[in-house]
Amino acid sequence: MTRPPQRPGGRVGVFGTLSHLALVVWAILVIFPIIWTFLGSFKTNTEIFGEHPLGLPATFHWDAWGRAWAKAHIGQYLINTVIVVALSTFFTMLLSSMAAYVLARYRFPGSRLIYLLFVSGLSFPVFLALVPLFLTVKNLGLLGTHTGVVIVYVAYSLPFSVFFLTAFFKTLPTTVAEAAMMDGASHTRTFFQVMLPMAKPGLISITIFNILGQWNQYLLPIVLLPGNAQDKWLITQGIANISTNAGYEADWAGLFAALSMAIIPMLIVYIVFQRQIQSGLTAGALK
Amino acid sequence: MASIVLNGVDKIYAGGVKAVNGLNLEIRDGEFMVLVGPSGCGKSTALRMIAGLEDISGGEIVIGDRVVNHLPPKDRDIAMVFQNYALYPHMTVEENLAFGLKLRKMPKAEIAKRVNEAAKMLGLEQYLKRKPAALSGGQRQRVAMGRAIVREPQAFLMDEPLSNLDAKLRVSMRASLNQLHERLGVTTVYVTHDQVEAMTLGDRVCVLRDGLLQQVDTPQNLFDNPVNLFVAGFMGSPSMNFTYAELVRDGSGAAVAFAGYRLPVPDSTFAEKPGLDRYIGKKIILGIRPSDFEDAVAANGNAAGWVRIPVRANVTEELGSEINVLFTIDAPPVEHKDTVAAQNDGDEEETTLPLSGDKSLWTARVNARSHVRPGQNVELVVDTHNLHFFDVDSGLSIGHEANVGR
Repeated sequence: MTRPPQRPGGRVGVFGTLSHLALVVWAILVIFPIIWTFLGSFKTNTEIFGEHPLGLPATFHWDAWGRAWAKAHIGQYLINTVIVVALSTFFTMLLSSMAAYVLARYRFPGSRLIYLLFVSGLSFPVFLALVPLFLTVKNLGLLGTHTGVVIVYVAYSLPFSVFFLTAFFKTLPTTVAEAAMMDGASHTRTFFQVMLPMAKPGLISITIFNILGQWNQYLLPIVLLPGNAQDKWLITQGIANISTNAGYEADWAGLFAALSMAIIPMLIVYIVFQRQIQSGLTAGALK
Repeated sequence: MASIVLNGVDKIYAGGVKAVNGLNLEIRDGEFMVLVGPSGCGKSTALRMIAGLEDISGGEIVIGDRVVNHLPPKDRDIAMVFQNYALYPHMTVEENLAFGLKLRKMPKAEIAKRVNEAAKMLGLEQYLKRKPAALSGGQRQRVAMGRAIVREPQAFLMDEPLSNLDAKLRVSMRASLNQLHERLGVTTVYVTHDQVEAMTLGDRVCVLRDGLLQQVDTPQNLFDNPVNLFVAGFMGSPSMNFTYAELVRDGSGAAVAFAGYRLPVPDSTFAEKPGLDRYIGKKIILGIRPSDFEDAVAANGNAAGWVRIPVRANVTEELGSEINVLFTIDAPPVEHKDTVAAQNDGDEEETTLPLSGDKSLWTARVNARSHVRPGQNVELVVDTHNLHFFDVDSGLSIGHEANVGR
């Protein structure tokens, strides 16, 4: 790594040290709870709340994972969540990239208005819309179904995705699209075969963002998947259920195991997708 | 292959800016036509209208025997090479070349044949499996070229395809382009702001300015008989020297007088330029090409029509084979709107430093044997057969066939 040249007074050096210090603190703040959660899932309740809450478990107890998976139905909820998030992320990405491409590339009356409508969705807190959302989904007969959740997730994720991808598509060279037009590609084909592959870094970033956001949703599933549809529940509901149902006999190890089960897929997603982000994917297109 | 005809083509952008104004141009079948002009003259817009990438605001574009005004680019059967290559970054060279053919549902064997032929022609065979990012600028440029060639279209459109290459590569690619056109014989429309490229590549060159056609002719004719001050100043490097002068006739014949010099005007000039005699006794703008000067010593005795003028060399630029001698003459610089426009490339704010004050800075291109040094007095000879005369008001070339009666 090359260090930036030092300016008079060493301000860069001080700033560099401080920023690295801040990053180290930040990393500890993020990593420590994850590790603690993970270790907690192998402990007994006494070990979690005993004299050494930060210590290693005496023996690794796997049975908490079994309890969470089978008894608390986390396995079922995990599969539900994977299905819902996969579908909603897919449709979010498909619809938002198409909308963003058109808004970024084509001038037509009202394009600005549509863009602003999308962006205004960003400023609208979803909490305010919970009751009307509940009623709408209920009237559609989709309450307690995964379809209802997927539709709401997609609608709720579109504003930011469109906002982000519009900016991204604007940075892509127009001439490549023009070259595709000259080569005989239709607008649709130009989009799917030329522009979309070029937008890969942006698409991956926003995909990760959407997967994480939708995976961690708690409020929306509570509203849209009520208690009488318990077999349709998502993982966040299942985890909450472990802690609320148990009362004084809380199964903390089971709770931690369930949390770990929710965390691990996200870590995998993040690591896999992060590798796909190759900056400068457009390198070679121009000049 | 086909001819391309533009009939009174207009392009008006939102806000009323007229980028192309009533352009009439016929590009013959198999011809290499170069559109040249300073930035913002509408040359690229004209090309993009032929390509179908810009709407046509008025007039008609005919390719072959079809009016293509409302046809999308893919139905015009033309291929375009972009300035920045515009390759598909996620496809290999082979896929880049084949993309257009695949879209036209061509059989696989035919695609492979054409791609291999083009790759062979352009020396890209060993790069077929590479992606554009792994190619050099010149190779990417050739891929862009190849993408046009495999299509075997009615016409090639090229938008400054060489301007992103370094100087040496540009010269060699220019030669390759010439060969390619010889071999394929496809109608080509080529846009550039570089008048050297225009001169060397074009069968004919079309000079544009502010969306208006100035002159279409062979490179040599543009150089020898520019229609107005703008074309005269734009074509040729170093550019033509201008000064205000007076055309006089006395006992010894006609002459042009400026800055204390007096150059006789041969009778043949009056014969070539009808209407020039009406300017006798009047002010005109005189133009002399740097290449129509020679060092009197190196010229070794002057032929008929060569007249000596003594000057003092301010600056000399030695180019090896010749020397550019920059000298001032005692006359205010010509600040006609046309000469200013021709020098202003749009990219640079100020092209020359105002070192010469209210005197005109002229350039003479003399033989390298001259050995003239800055600050020396030198005798130059001028070929008086190649003097150019322009009307002071209109800037039109006096006696040019296109201007007679204008």
